[in-house]
Amino acid sequence: MSFILNGYRQEPPAEWADEPLLFILREHFGLVGAKFGCGVGICGACTVLVDNVPTRACITTLDDVEGRQVQTIEGLAKGETLHPVQQAWLDHAVPQCGYCQAGQIMTAVALLNDTPAPTDQDIDAAMDGNLCRCGTYPRIRAAILHVAEGA
Amino acid sequence: MRRRTFLKAAGGGLVALIGAGAAVWSQAPIFPKRPAPDAASALGWISHRDGAYVLTLPRIEMGQNITTALKQIACAELGTDWRRVTVEMHDTNMGRVRATVGSESIMHFAEPLAQACAALRDALASGQSEGEVTVVTRPFADLRAFRAGPIVGASPEIAHGRAIVTGAPLYAADVTRPGMLYGRVLRAPASTELTSRPRRWNSRAARAVPGFVAIVEDCGPPIGKARGLGIVTSRPGALDPVARALAVEWDMDDAAPLPDMAMLIDVDAHAPGGLPHLVLDGAPQDGLWDVDMRLDIPLAAHGPIEPRAAVAEWQEDGLSVWSGTQDAFYVRDVLADAFSVTQDRVVVTSCRVGGAFGGKTLCTVEAEAAALSRATSAPVKIQWTRAQEYALGFHRPPSSHRIRARLAEGRITDWDHAQVSSHILFTGAGVPAWLQTGTDMVIGDPGVARGMAAPYKLGRARAAYDAIRLSVHAGPWRGLGAGPNGLAIESAIDEAARVAGVDPLSFRLDHVTDPRLSDVLVRVAALSDWSSGPPQVAGARTGRGVACGIYKDTSYAAVVADVAVDACGSVRVTRLWCAHDCGFVINPDQVRAQCEGNLAWSVGMILTDDLPTQQGRVVAETFADAPIPRMTDLPEITVDLIEGTGPLSGAGETAIVAGPGAIANALRAATGRRATRFPLQPTEFAL
Ligand code: FES
Ligand code: FES
Repeated sequence: MSFILNGYRQEPPAEWADEPLLFILREHFGLVGAKFGCGVGICGACTVLVDNVPTRACITTLDDVEGRQVQTIEGLAKGETLHPVQQAWLDHAVPQCGYCQAGQIMTAVALLNDTPAPTDQDIDAAMDGNLCRCGTYPRIRAAILHVAEGA
Repeated sequence: MRRRTFLKAAGGGLVALIGAGAAVWSQAPIFPKRPAPDAASALGWISHRDGAYVLTLPRIEMGQNITTALKQIACAELGTDWRRVTVEMHDTNMGRVRATVGSESIMHFAEPLAQACAALRDALASGQSEGEVTVVTRPFADLRAFRAGPIVGASPEIAHGRAIVTGAPLYAADVTRPGMLYGRVLRAPASTELTSRPRRWNSRAARAVPGFVAIVEDCGPPIGKARGLGIVTSRPGALDPVARALAVEWDMDDAAPLPDMAMLIDVDAHAPGGLPHLVLDGAPQDGLWDVDMRLDIPLAAHGPIEPRAAVAEWQEDGLSVWSGTQDAFYVRDVLADAFSVTQDRVVVTSCRVGGAFGGKTLCTVEAEAAALSRATSAPVKIQWTRAQEYALGFHRPPSSHRIRARLAEGRITDWDHAQVSSHILFTGAGVPAWLQTGTDMVIGDPGVARGMAAPYKLGRARAAYDAIRLSVHAGPWRGLGAGPNGLAIESAIDEAARVAGVDPLSFRLDHVTDPRLSDVLVRVAALSDWSSGPPQVAGARTGRGVACGIYKDTSYAAVVADVAVDACGSVRVTRLWCAHDCGFVINPDQVRAQCEGNLAWSVGMILTDDLPTQQGRVVAETFADAPIPRMTDLPEITVDLIEGTGPLSGAGETAIVAGPGAIANALRAATGRRATRFPLQPTEFAL
């Protein structure tokens, strides 16, 4: 059972076959960017991209990603150069506690891949499932619009 | 070596049942110590070597970005470059600092840090390059950090920002240790006020689950009165199936039905004038009231996206714990006491916290991890489930308010605010009932009282409250009592303005006593073009409201809100403006961010916050049961900072004194109806 993780084929050991993708990423591969927030697909803190579709890693199985491309926040930057969405997040000082932000960024990246010039409604539709208790939503919106304008 | 033997035994199917017979855990509570930070202790926060500095953060970082602000102060005072200062989180090997609570990090820690940095700078300038430095405290005006300059008063890239956007490890659950196992402590589905303990469980079924490592009976102090049963696995995903397979049956002391919480705190069921704790001690006259309103605010969760987490590891020389806590030293003290080791043998390392809001101030998951680690001789990571966060944490207490006001000639002459709530500072989660009886008698609960003294000329004014111990534990929540009290007071003031027939903004200005409060009101009026009213929204009723307040006598906010209400009564906040004055500002962008966060919480207080209970216990298990605001709930927000020269204060809990009231008042303007129960029920505002 294998999948492509940030560009590299990976095969978790057989004992991990039943683990949710989130724990495989965090605890087996040590990619801790995606977070556990609820474990049932509601908060979005664990969001990764599977073939560019934002996916809740906490309710995704290894079966679900067999042979597919899984991209995590660790796979966004090219060396020292941040992805434009990461850079916009810094320019707008989006994070407060930061715990939700990997999920927010991955969802935003998928949105902008599909819709390089999103409207406010597109942003609402894409982002409404990613919760942020610190209330960084207005900055998330501003950062997404900023990337869209630069595109 | 030891660990390998152990895992082999478990993998080979041996019963790893550890610590039969529950230990006796100490019943005497440990109280958090609150040393005042001073310049001498601040020397322990900053060090220098070969032209580079290390700032060991004396605070917890939980999103308030104090890391960035204190680094700005250090750089400005040292006169050094941003890149020469590295910031590290503290562990308990540093001198004790008090909990990171109450928006006091800039207020109380900025000056001592600057004093220490100034002393270090002078020592370096005089050629000293090793050894200790002594601080001679200089006048505040001589410090360089508190003058606007290229670093202070600016907003550099936030500390940890790069790590956050690249997914680098920062939080407790990101910690990993060689040979680490995963744990959970199961507890009865009951109020933690009731004694409960595991009676029977199916070890055989649990053992058959792949990844099972151990069942641990001796799994740390109870939470409230709930004793647990620990499980340990080699993979985190095995915890759920092991828990299910165990099918624990519980002994529960549920003989007597728990009294209904809403009834216990019903303000009208308490004798008028008979509430024991006075905040304002005037004597309003008897007679008919012009305003007489009842307001009920429910139990609410903190709802941080990070469920609390800890990694614990026992080694020869003691216990190491990594935790996302607001008070590493308190956690250290409790662990040392619980496991009967000296404090110097326990090291608690503060990790960045994924949202706390007052909720991560006690020692819970850390003791669970330490107990399971001790039992298995391996490092153990525990992260609570969302359901555990609700069931085992403490919450914002429900509160019930009655406010009455009388007016003559457009002025309030009599005011009576009665409130019944539950304990906040003397939280039932940390203070047993017998001790609360004592604190109740001596001082009441200043957390409930916070923000209850309305910042207005009110004539003969009384404000009094009581705090009742409930079966669901209440405790500190962003702003403590100030959010709910502000909502109640600002709603009543708005009604009073209507009675007087005066514009609510002018009415407030007529009654305000503190010029800084007047200033934020005037500023927010200009910012929002107050008198222009809300823009029309097709198919909706619209309204605009204003509210203001003072937090802890030191910081000021005024908020204007616009709302739109559709025919079904569903309410949308369409615009928010905030004017904010917290004195001299170190980092304007991050003060703004705190205002934005407070306004998001204000929207939550009106639209979402509620933690459902049944039979005296929390029954919420996911965010679906206890929702928090979403992106589409928040409008455009504009914040105007008054960057004054006033004394340093805080921003983390200020705007929440005004935001909820402004929204409720806008709703009143839009619909003619006063919201008195929260979160709003759309049916109440339907056409
Ligand atoms: S942790 Fe996956 S959606 Fe919340
Ligand atoms: S930044 Fe804290 S939850 Fe989003």
